[in-house]
Amino acid sequence: MIKFTFYLFSLILIFASVRVVTVKNPVHAALFLVLAFFSSAAIWLLLQAEFLAIALVLVYVGAVMVLFLFVVMMLEINFSQLREGFVRNLPVAGLVGALILLEMVFVVGAWQNVPPPVATEIPNIVALGQVLYTDYFYPFEIAAALLLVAMIAAIALTMRPHNRAKYQKPDQQVSVNREDYVRIVNIPSEAKD
Amino acid sequence: MPELSDFLILGAILFCISIAGIFLNRKNLIIILMCIELMLLSVNLNFIAFSYFNADIAGQVFVFFILTVAAAESAIGLAILIVLFRNKGSINVEDLNALKG
Amino acid sequence: MTIANLNIAWLLPEILILTMACVILVIDAYLPKQLRNLTYHLTQGTLLGAALLIIAANPMQPILAMNDMVIIDAMSVVLKLFIVLIVFFTFIYSREYLQDRKIFKGEYFVLGLFATLGMLIMVSAHNLLMVFLGLELLSLSLYAMIAMNRDSKVATEAAMKYFVLGALASGMLLYGMSMLYGITATLDLTKLSQSVSEISNDRIVISSVNQLISETEEVELAIKNVEKHVTTITNSPIATKIAEIIEANIETDAMVIIKPMLASSSQNYTILVFGLVFIVIGVAFKLGAVPFHSWIPDVYHGSPTSMTLFVASAPKIAAFAMVIRMLVDGMQTLHTDWQGMLILLSILSIIVGNIIAIAQQNIKRMLAYSTIAHVGYLLLGIIAANADGYAASMFYVVVYTIMTLGAFGMIILLSRTGFEADKIEDFKGLNERNPWYAMIMLIIMLSMAGVPPMVGFWAKWAVLAQVINAGFVWLAVLAVLFAVIGAFYYLRIVKLMYFDKPTSLVPIEAGVDMRFALSANALIVLLLGLMPNTLMAICLGAWGISV
Repeated sequence: MIKFTFYLFSLILIFASVRVVTVKNPVHAALFLVLAFFSSAAIWLLLQAEFLAIALVLVYVGAVMVLFLFVVMMLEINFSQLREGFVRNLPVAGLVGALILLEMVFVVGAWQNVPPPVATEIPNIVALGQVLYTDYFYPFEIAAALLLVAMIAAIALTMRPHNRAKYQKPDQQVSVNREDYVRIVNIPSEAKD
Repeated sequence: MPELSDFLILGAILFCISIAGIFLNRKNLIIILMCIELMLLSVNLNFIAFSYFNADIAGQVFVFFILTVAAAESAIGLAILIVLFRNKGSINVEDLNALKG
Repeated sequence: MTIANLNIAWLLPEILILTMACVILVIDAYLPKQLRNLTYHLTQGTLLGAALLIIAANPMQPILAMNDMVIIDAMSVVLKLFIVLIVFFTFIYSREYLQDRKIFKGEYFVLGLFATLGMLIMVSAHNLLMVFLGLELLSLSLYAMIAMNRDSKVATEAAMKYFVLGALASGMLLYGMSMLYGITATLDLTKLSQSVSEISNDRIVISSVNQLISETEEVELAIKNVEKHVTTITNSPIATKIAEIIEANIETDAMVIIKPMLASSSQNYTILVFGLVFIVIGVAFKLGAVPFHSWIPDVYHGSPTSMTLFVASAPKIAAFAMVIRMLVDGMQTLHTDWQGMLILLSILSIIVGNIIAIAQQNIKRMLAYSTIAHVGYLLLGIIAANADGYAASMFYVVVYTIMTLGAFGMIILLSRTGFEADKIEDFKGLNERNPWYAMIMLIIMLSMAGVPPMVGFWAKWAVLAQVINAGFVWLAVLAVLFAVIGAFYYLRIVKLMYFDKPTSLVPIEAGVDMRFALSANALIVLLLGLMPNTLMAICLGAWGISV
């Protein structure tokens, strides 16, 4: 049963990732990437990494992919133009990819198979939490610094300081003089025909 | 339970798809960014499989940090992409031709 | 875990930089524009403070801190000190340039501090996770700093190229790390190194046992021979295992169990080397060695010169430290395998860098290719694969960063508002315009070319001597040959400065700090050339070699 689940989700995962790189519309590519994340989260569940599986769905599907979709939709890009050269590159890229894959499978496929360990008593989240805030607390701090860097960078790069929105300025509004804006002009009435 | 090598082969397939994807979509930056995400996903799969079969939690901790870094990385990548688009009006890699020599 | 075993006090430099980066970020947000200089001064103060703390925290023997995540040893102290000081000089050179181009922003300096923090973490990493996090902290800050000049097309383009290739390199590196983790089940570099040496010992045992089995036809005799052989070996887990199996199965045929075990264990070494390949690719990307160099010319050319200066100098020291941490601290026993890969990278870098540099008209691009060539020379010392070689490489990388600092400093000096002095012609007749600056550039160019008695010569000398000692004479000959070819494009600049008429007579203006720092920089290059032994002694000392 577990084997069946694994192969099912592996197939979905491979299909989705192939579609990510071959699909025409980046919006569809992003959605296929979401599918890929979902199916790998399912595979991670098989490997008893429950916390990470949930984090993957929450962080990636919930935040990162939404960010991707926002950017794709915000930028008005002519996507058909970006497809040129795809067919031309296909044989080379396919060949290179297949060759690398062959070599990699040759090495990793021969990995000596260890028996899966017996299930531990400690739940996954507890086990992670126990080391994350003790053994790994220094990397944890650095990861915090990293996120801060990402935040500073994203704001510094994309925020436009001079915005074109128009605000009301009450202090100027009350101190307006009638003479500044209104001019009374005496126009002589024209004579009737 | 599937064997360890099954998970590793799956990881290798994902890795190669992402590399081939970068070659294929040499023009579209946003797909290239997605391919990089895919590549990190394959690495994560490797780490989690090893973590399970070696009965060692360190691999999962590593994945935790890769997820964090990858999120930060894509935020910065998309920010640079937006700045680039504002400057050039395009995210076509072929328009990245100001630097040659 | 108690607070006392964490050895937090040894991490004070990093803690200072992190805290001050956050403080400066908050202060800067509330500063009026006229007081922006305060951010700059605070940043510089932080760097000097960190330098003092690094000197103060100089341990007698290597110290592990933060649950073995961090190592503070003699090498890390020396490299950290140079990183902090070089970033300090970089900011001095950049200040006016940034003000002229309206990118004198608080975020620039805050990200610079975070990048420095990333470099310090890489230098004293003692865990694969720390190597990765330090590297990413550095790279993410650099991507953003390059793109900070938002209205420049070339700068954003450079940032994007750097980002895509950098992320690809990180992916490769991570794949390699995952393989290493899979085979050794540890991320700690000491434990990794132990497992790696066990696996390579196993490999020798496996081949000798296989030979024994194939030599003798009679099974019982073969088992006896194997037993005799494996009991003499102490440092290989598989030898102990075989001995146990033979002892437990005296009655039955132990060969039935041993043979499949040998077959499956022989795979471990292959997988280890497979992981190593990915790690070397990742590292080569970050160092900029051919054939993974394609980002270097574009990033150097497109970035604002202040950023080129930043990217070209201190991060190279950190990348060197990353190579040492992973290949030497983690996988010294595999040196026969990585030597071959590094030799290939080194030869290609020296050839490609030196030859393409000749054709460049843009001085930033020229220096980019010269960097690639220098990376090739830098790798020579590591190829020697012994402590003397690593010390020579360390000397090379420090000297290289000091020279690069000066070269890009001169480009910044000649640039003005709305004008980038990035063409080689812009150096024409510099001697007529200002003999002192021409002198500075002369010293730096001669040193980069490796003309004796400049320090660049001693650096090349040191790595070449080590590579010859290690028995790669042909490699040294090739390196010298291309060093001579490479000298051409440095000397062309000298010729332009001294024998050509200037194209512009605009007086060269610069602040006192800039002029002073640049002069000091050139004098350091000159003095190090006259007295290379002091720095060499420091580098050798970092590897425990007394002079």
